[in-house]
Amino acid sequence: MKINLQNVDGVAVVSIQGSVDAMTAGEVGSFFEGIREKRNNRIVVDLGEVDFVSSAGLRVIMSASKNVRQMEGDLRLAAAQPGVERMLKISGFTNILKSYSNADEAVQSFGSLSS
Amino acid sequence: MGHSIRYQITHSAELLSLAAFRELVDLACNQHPSINEQTRYDLKLGVDEACTNIILHGYQGMDPGSIILTIEINDRQACISITDFGHPFEPVEVDLPDMETIQSEDDTELGLFFMHQSMDQIDYESSPAGNTLRMQKYFP
Repeated sequence: MKINLQNVDGVAVVSIQGSVDAMTAGEVGSFFEGIREKRNNRIVVDLGEVDFVSSAGLRVIMSASKNVRQMEGDLRLAAAQPGVERMLKISGFTNILKSYSNADEAVQSFGSLSS
Repeated sequence: MGHSIRYQITHSAELLSLAAFRELVDLACNQHPSINEQTRYDLKLGVDEACTNIILHGYQGMDPGSIILTIEINDRQACISITDFGHPFEPVEVDLPDMETIQSEDDTELGLFFMHQSMDQIDYESSPAGNTLRMQKYFP
């Protein structure tokens, strides 16, 4: 699994490649923790190249979302593949986290946060 | 009814082994083009969640053990059995946990929920010879 971070218009775009399971979820969690320490409260998680997510992966994403919301920010999802998207729907994630077709749309959605 | 092909691997009960268990599911599904992507994902998810439970809970306080994964597939169904030699842990069906309050450390309920969502039938048997989880999925 690989994780890449880009700053796009002040939004941290986290692109994950591979599988997020109980083995790799810890690494993903640590990565999100690093973003939190830098006080970046606008995060997009690009799942376009994530071929598999288990419950461990969903939990770590939910945990990161809660942390960033405590900082009055938000975490949004992008480009989930069909299998992953289905898991997000079954678990009710899509009622809690906004999900977009691609990372650009997700980044642009943060425009509405500016006051 | 088509022919059945049986696949089996044995790996150590470590998180590192999860990828290999999912790869066996992929290998088995590749031999049956009629299996759609959603079914393939469900099979991988069921296997992954079951093996994760064994790895995290089955051998606690014991010497590191192993997991035997067996997959038998024909044109109509997949039969999966997962055997370990640790503590019995029956994967009872649970409701979807409250996602608003779930913690990243809550490592059981959501996994059990997905295991039952992804499979059509789950049976569990424990004996002094070992614990065997059997899961079946019928293809659409």
